[in-house]
Amino acid sequence: MLELKRALDAKGHCLLEMPSGTGKTTTLLSLIVAYMKAHPLDLTKLVYCSRTVPEIEKVMEELRKLMNYYEKEMGMEQNILGLALSSRKNLCIHPSVSKEREGKVVDGRCYSLTASFVRARHAADDAVPICEFYEGFDAHGKEFPLPPGVYNLDDLKEYGQTKRWCPYFLARHTIIHANIVVYSYHYLLDPKIAEVVSKEISKSSVVVFDEAHNIDNVCIDSMSVKITKRLLDKCSNSITILETTISNMKENDSKRLEKEYKRLVEGLRDATIARETDMALVNPVLPSEILEEAVPGTIRTAEHFVAFLKRVVEYIKTRLRVQHVVQESPAGFLRDIHTKVCIDRKPLRFTAERLASLIRTLEISDLTDFSPLVTVSHFATLVSTYTKGFTIIIEPFEDRAPTVSNPILYFSCLDSSIAIKPVFNRFQTVVITSGTLSPLDMYPKILDFHPVIMTSFTMTLARPCILPMIVSKGNDQVAMSSRYETREDTAVIRNYGNLLVEVAAAVPDGIVCFFTSYLYLETIVSSWYDQGIIDQLQRHKLLFIETQDAAETSLALINYIKACDNGRGAVLLSVARGKVSEGIDFDHHLGRAVLMFGIPYVYTQSRILRARLEYLRDQFQIRENDFLTFDAMRHAAQCLGRCMRGKTDYGIMVLADKRFSRADKRSKLPKWIQEHLKDTNCNLSTEECVQICKRWLRQMAQPFSREDQLGISLLTLEQLQSEEMQKKILQRAQGV
Amino acid sequence: MADEDETKEYRWESGYEKTWEAIKEDDDGLLESNVADLVARAKRKRAALKATGAIQLGMMRHLFVVVDASACMFLQDLKPTRFLCVLKLLEVFVHEFFDLNPISQLGILTTKMKRSEQITVLAGNQKKHIEALQQLKDLSCEGEPSLQNSLERAMNGLKNMPAHSSREILVLFGSLTTCDPGDIQKTIKSLKDNNIRVSIIGLAAEVRICREIAKKTGGTYNVLIDDYHLKELILNQVQPPAVVGSMEASLVKMGFPGGTPIVNDGTSDSSADHAPAYCLCHIESETSSLMGPNGYNCPQCGSRYCELPVECKQCGLTLVSAPHLARSYHHLFPIKPFIERVQDRETTHCFACAKPFVEAETNVYECETCNQIVCLDCDLFIREILHTCPGCASDPVTAQMKTN
Repeated sequence: MLELKRALDAKGHCLLEMPSGTGKTTTLLSLIVAYMKAHPLDLTKLVYCSRTVPEIEKVMEELRKLMNYYEKEMGMEQNILGLALSSRKNLCIHPSVSKEREGKVVDGRCYSLTASFVRARHAADDAVPICEFYEGFDAHGKEFPLPPGVYNLDDLKEYGQTKRWCPYFLARHTIIHANIVVYSYHYLLDPKIAEVVSKEISKSSVVVFDEAHNIDNVCIDSMSVKITKRLLDKCSNSITILETTISNMKENDSKRLEKEYKRLVEGLRDATIARETDMALVNPVLPSEILEEAVPGTIRTAEHFVAFLKRVVEYIKTRLRVQHVVQESPAGFLRDIHTKVCIDRKPLRFTAERLASLIRTLEISDLTDFSPLVTVSHFATLVSTYTKGFTIIIEPFEDRAPTVSNPILYFSCLDSSIAIKPVFNRFQTVVITSGTLSPLDMYPKILDFHPVIMTSFTMTLARPCILPMIVSKGNDQVAMSSRYETREDTAVIRNYGNLLVEVAAAVPDGIVCFFTSYLYLETIVSSWYDQGIIDQLQRHKLLFIETQDAAETSLALINYIKACDNGRGAVLLSVARGKVSEGIDFDHHLGRAVLMFGIPYVYTQSRILRARLEYLRDQFQIRENDFLTFDAMRHAAQCLGRCMRGKTDYGIMVLADKRFSRADKRSKLPKWIQEHLKDTNCNLSTEECVQICKRWLRQMAQPFSREDQLGISLLTLEQLQSEEMQKKILQRAQGV
Repeated sequence: MADEDETKEYRWESGYEKTWEAIKEDDDGLLESNVADLVARAKRKRAALKATGAIQLGMMRHLFVVVDASACMFLQDLKPTRFLCVLKLLEVFVHEFFDLNPISQLGILTTKMKRSEQITVLAGNQKKHIEALQQLKDLSCEGEPSLQNSLERAMNGLKNMPAHSSREILVLFGSLTTCDPGDIQKTIKSLKDNNIRVSIIGLAAEVRICREIAKKTGGTYNVLIDDYHLKELILNQVQPPAVVGSMEASLVKMGFPGGTPIVNDGTSDSSADHAPAYCLCHIESETSSLMGPNGYNCPQCGSRYCELPVECKQCGLTLVSAPHLARSYHHLFPIKPFIERVQDRETTHCFACAKPFVEAETNVYECETCNQIVCLDCDLFIREILHTCPGCASDPVTAQMKTN
């Protein structure tokens, strides 16, 4: 809290690592809200970004509690408006549209009901369907702001139902004057969406990125484009549709095309002042000077533009017809496209904007079919805008199946700071926080910013409720490691199996295991099957395996929870970086132990990764190995953190790889884990590990009451005010 | 203190103990007071646990003890094996149980190979149970246990017991997994509906389902640390539990057989009472059956028993002696915990043992009613064994009040 206050005072950015379950969200919310109340001029808004919808809901619950407390203590209504925002899929209350499952389809259908031209058509002809909720909102909602309070997604929906206003647009409209906004990262980081949703958030806001350990990957993903052959085929189809519509329109209503042409001459800036609902297609971050410029003449008329698009698509198709891997810079690509099909850089830059404008003019209401074309247009714009920090890789086949031709063009962002830069520049304070951010000094480097505060907090606990251990060898003294040279070794696999069996026999309820990759998981499980280890394991617990299929995995998860609940006990085998390792909590009995088999290094043969490593080395002086270790350790920590979700929780963390005990790996674990990782627990064999587990589990099972925590991790008001405690706090404050 | 040391595990088995961390110097840089303080605090803590206020207690208990006999009971973390250790402690438990709850009944079940077996039926004869426990030692432990099966079986046995008795199940559970045929939640619900309290003692680690069962049925769930702790946990179950809600009060018919004189003079009692007869407790085992004049006769049907308390096999009457009932009495009126005071100069001697107070012990204990002051050791002795305050008992006024 103290650190946060300093950051707020300094109006700078900060990086905080706080263990999960220690009240991270509450701390952030309560201090920032208090700060907002005390200095209403310096700080006007809190933007809280989280990862998933359930996490957003959790934040809203915390906020509601805080507000209730304020109300109780101050005895009056608080003039603070907090709301959550999510995609149309989660907020739509239209009777038929909301039934759709896929986000894209919902967006498309919503657009087809609410776009300005559709509504104009509706005014002329009642048969054209529109969304009554949007109409309701448009007619009345804008004048009446939402009354102060805390609204989560369901509240918004309910409010929308009673007033018959569209909750999605209501929320989007309300963002401008809400005090606290909670939404997903993408609304801020993905330039395509940020432009629409977050444009009007004032500078004097605090932005909090929660669970931000993967923020650099989010940044990179939002700027990268992947083009496959199928996508290009779809593009060709869409272009034909465009062509026919244009020719139709030319016969019927050529005025409109002329109007558009004129507008384009005047400059793009005016074109963007369209209605908010038309903003379904937006250009990726364009330097603002481009918007001031007029669209170049070559693509100003609709036919010319379509022909231009065709040429681009055909060109990319020819590029995909390669037999070997090609890697080139955006500059090289531009030169090539210029010599081969005579396309200049400048028109390419405007592709995305021009396409959006064309679709608007043509009044195409179903956008879903055009998404491939939009992707290509984004690619064109990005490739011509940025020459630094990106690379183009064309692979004729996948590494796993070298015989099957499946050409893919990756346009990959190498510099995660590009996407996040506008955020850092625009807002006075950006707080990046997560349970696992160690090593902290890597983030400022790769995100290219200068934090004023950078701290890692530990937990104050009444009992040692985590037990991290590094198991480096089996009972037969063969070292355990997932190193490339030894990973196929039967002795290593057998030792891993024995470790799991013995731990499963000693630990109650649920155990989660993480492997380094799906491939490794498969080979290990099949050889365990041959060695009879699976049979032994099933004597103690049921076995569940995460697969790449999301539906299968969620079914496995449901049954896993069931098996843990009724006392049978279960083991879940999953993969670091998989769905399970991110965002699914195994609290209390669901995860009494986490086993990490091997160090989860990213697949180093990937060309994209190699390009990124090279870039990092050249631009930020980060050695490849440092980054790889950093990345592996943060994923390992993330996996380990799954089992600890609060102060009353307890869990064993087993790191089964010899390499973990090296100083360079160990020191990269979060401080709150390192603190409990004693030297005596660093180089254990399977047997020793099980012995320690047993003793520790018995200790943890002893009754743990609230009184035991009092005075250590829980303070009463009197204790807090006591002189001794005040002294301690003061000491800590000065010490930092 | 000495026996406590014996029951500890070997030095090389235990973990590192940072004994120095608990010690702090006092103002004079001395450790003595600190050590004494530590010892006293530990003792008081244990005593305080037992001191609960007067509530309605289930004096008449029907208890099923479920012993896990699955493969994991062969582990040697309790010496010699978990199973033997548990059986040994259970013998002590059975003995203590009937000592403190003379009008209660007990039955024993085991669970292994996903099934549950009945070893003894609900009965009030402790000899039979102890014999059965001794025979169990040769049982081989194998397979997986089934919580549901054993709970269902125990429930069937307890269902028909009268409503005024407290129905309980004590599970000694070594395994970390249970293999159940159906949904255990349903079993928990019917246990709750039948007012059966399930207490579980885990031998390895905290299993969530056990905690849930204990919580929902109003029992306790504990996990041992070592065998000494296990003994404590098992013996804690000897104390009759407080009644949840209100149990219907009813009159229970009991028989008080007259004592048999060892030397039969044949004058005072009718000769029929002391005619040589087979006692019914031993009539089944031919070798040990004794015909003699000694024993207790059921006042209703006249069957002979050599030990009390017992339930008459002929007519089903509960036979007890008056001291048995009196012994259960102190559960109902536990003495109030003594107040801890700093020792002042005025009282120099402990009221109970008359030893002078030592300098090192700073605290003394005062009874609320009679205001007599005793030392720590006497306080514990009164609480655990005597169950009456010597101060109150020797003062005619308070002694009178108590009986009223």
